[in-house]
Amino acid sequence: MLRAVNASLNYQDHGRDIFACRDISIDVQANEFVGILGPSGSGKSSLLYLLSGLKTPTGGDILYQGKSIPAMSDEDRSRLRIEEFGFVFQQPFLLGYLTALENISVIPRAGSPNEAHELLEQLGMGAKAHRFPHELSGGERQRVCVARALYGRPKIIFADEPTAALDHKNGVSTVNLLNRLRGEGSLVMVTHDPTMLDGADRVIRLADGEMTAPILGGHESAEPTRDI
Amino acid sequence: MTRSRAATNPLAPLTYLRRNAGKTIPLTVVIVMAVMLVSGIISMINSIPLSIRTIYAYSKKFTGVTPRGDATRTQVILNEIKAKSPVAIDRVITCRTAGTVVQSIVGKWPFFILGLSPDDMTYYLRLQNATDIDGRLPKPGAAEAVVSEPVARNLNLKIGSNLLGPKLDDGFSPNNVKVVGIAKTDQWVMVVPIEYLRAYHFPPVDLGIVVAKNPAEQDRLDRWADKHFKGQRAAILAYFQIEKNTDEMFRTLYQILNVVIGTLVIVITFMMGMLINIYQSQRIVEFGLLQAIGYTKRQILSRVLTETAMVVVVGWLFGLLAAYGLLNVANATLMAPRAYAINPVDKVAYLYSLPMPIAILVVAAATITVRFKNFDPIGVVERRIV
Repeated sequence: MLRAVNASLNYQDHGRDIFACRDISIDVQANEFVGILGPSGSGKSSLLYLLSGLKTPTGGDILYQGKSIPAMSDEDRSRLRIEEFGFVFQQPFLLGYLTALENISVIPRAGSPNEAHELLEQLGMGAKAHRFPHELSGGERQRVCVARALYGRPKIIFADEPTAALDHKNGVSTVNLLNRLRGEGSLVMVTHDPTMLDGADRVIRLADGEMTAPILGGHESAEPTRDI
Repeated sequence: MTRSRAATNPLAPLTYLRRNAGKTIPLTVVIVMAVMLVSGIISMINSIPLSIRTIYAYSKKFTGVTPRGDATRTQVILNEIKAKSPVAIDRVITCRTAGTVVQSIVGKWPFFILGLSPDDMTYYLRLQNATDIDGRLPKPGAAEAVVSEPVARNLNLKIGSNLLGPKLDDGFSPNNVKVVGIAKTDQWVMVVPIEYLRAYHFPPVDLGIVVAKNPAEQDRLDRWADKHFKGQRAAILAYFQIEKNTDEMFRTLYQILNVVIGTLVIVITFMMGMLINIYQSQRIVEFGLLQAIGYTKRQILSRVLTETAMVVVVGWLFGLLAAYGLLNVANATLMAPRAYAINPVDKVAYLYSLPMPIAILVVAAATITVRFKNFDPIGVVERRIV
């Protein structure tokens, strides 16, 4: 469904070519949970941005359902993100002047009128649906972000270190909820914490912008994810 | 892929404006005050020529004639007008004048007191739209006067007050000339018996008043007489001359005013543009998030500009309302009690405030557009830009 073909992202730093990602080729299948694991600065977030169309590769290609994302216009890429993808970022970014429920509804994807509320219920936030972000804890805010990413049943959810701002218990809980509620959607999650990828179908390791180990987990690896 | 919104649009511009009242109200108030200031200043300045036109509006109703260099020529001139006038004449009146002053917001202005015979006085008061008189008309030859309501308010005159007198520097007469009647009209009128002026006032020159049968043709008579007697020993006093002189008098003032208002608009626009830019900069995380999750720059820009336009337009409209309120209060408390003229619905004053919202909108749109041009949402979601 989503494929990176020798995707690279480099930039110039004082005349030197620095590769955030180099020759990455991966394939994300429908309904698959793919983890991207690596230390800080390994290029895992850059890879996520390449896959989700937030950044354009300087080499190679990213294909979604056979269409090149970099070849799309800015408008088409934006439309793709808002209609097909869901996002959870490191920080629980919410619009301060909107309630939890309204923050979910900023995504103009259809669902039943009650879907946003149901999502909050499933995330244990039903009673706080009408609270503003400043009335929620960090964990609660990230759960609203998860609900926003799930709203309208996107085809792929991209999660960039979604547990970075949470304690371990809240982090595990958030990932489990994301995994459980994604339904038919795929999940691509970046993290530096391998324990967050227990539920992943496979895990990609990155270091210095390159894949450093065979793809783990699922059908493409002999090693189970939990061994990471 | 096309999907309907599940709920009311939470990104509706009004939602942001209502829920961020702490930011939008001060912005709106600044625009309201600026619009009120500009409209108020212009309206107050416009009240000066308006006062001139109001006070001397009585001269619209007739053509004034005075001899030059030969006091005996009045009747000759009036006869010539009767004989050669291009319009039908209703009445020719011989009169005398005495000088006094009325008060304006910029000081004292000269005003003619007309000396008329009893018949002519009645005719003249009707000509000046008088519907009734509180009190009575002066007795022939007596030191008595009738003034109109605006004059009474302006000079604080009541029946029994002295209009002229030996102790009045601005309205000297050897006898106290008492107000015996107040005419109900909005025209500015002061009349006394002609015999009194002939007996006690200088110079001993009769003047003439010529009234066209059709009031709509009075201006034509004015202009004809002015042209006809050009270079002769006669002077024509007509309303169009007052209009012309007033326009010339205020031309330079309005040029200065345009520069002042223009500068004010630039200063306020610059200030408001900066303020709006600062407020929008504080929302950079919001814009980054929205762009990251799939809103296009155009959608975000359109929303921000709609919000800005709403603030500016609402500010302008409330500014006009505030100006209208302020001018009405000024009229009721400062102007009307002295019969000073001001127009609380002065279109020119309100139009002067129009460049301000337009300029603010243009500056805000330009700065926000430039800011968005190279905006990178990744910087926001990675917290490099917060």
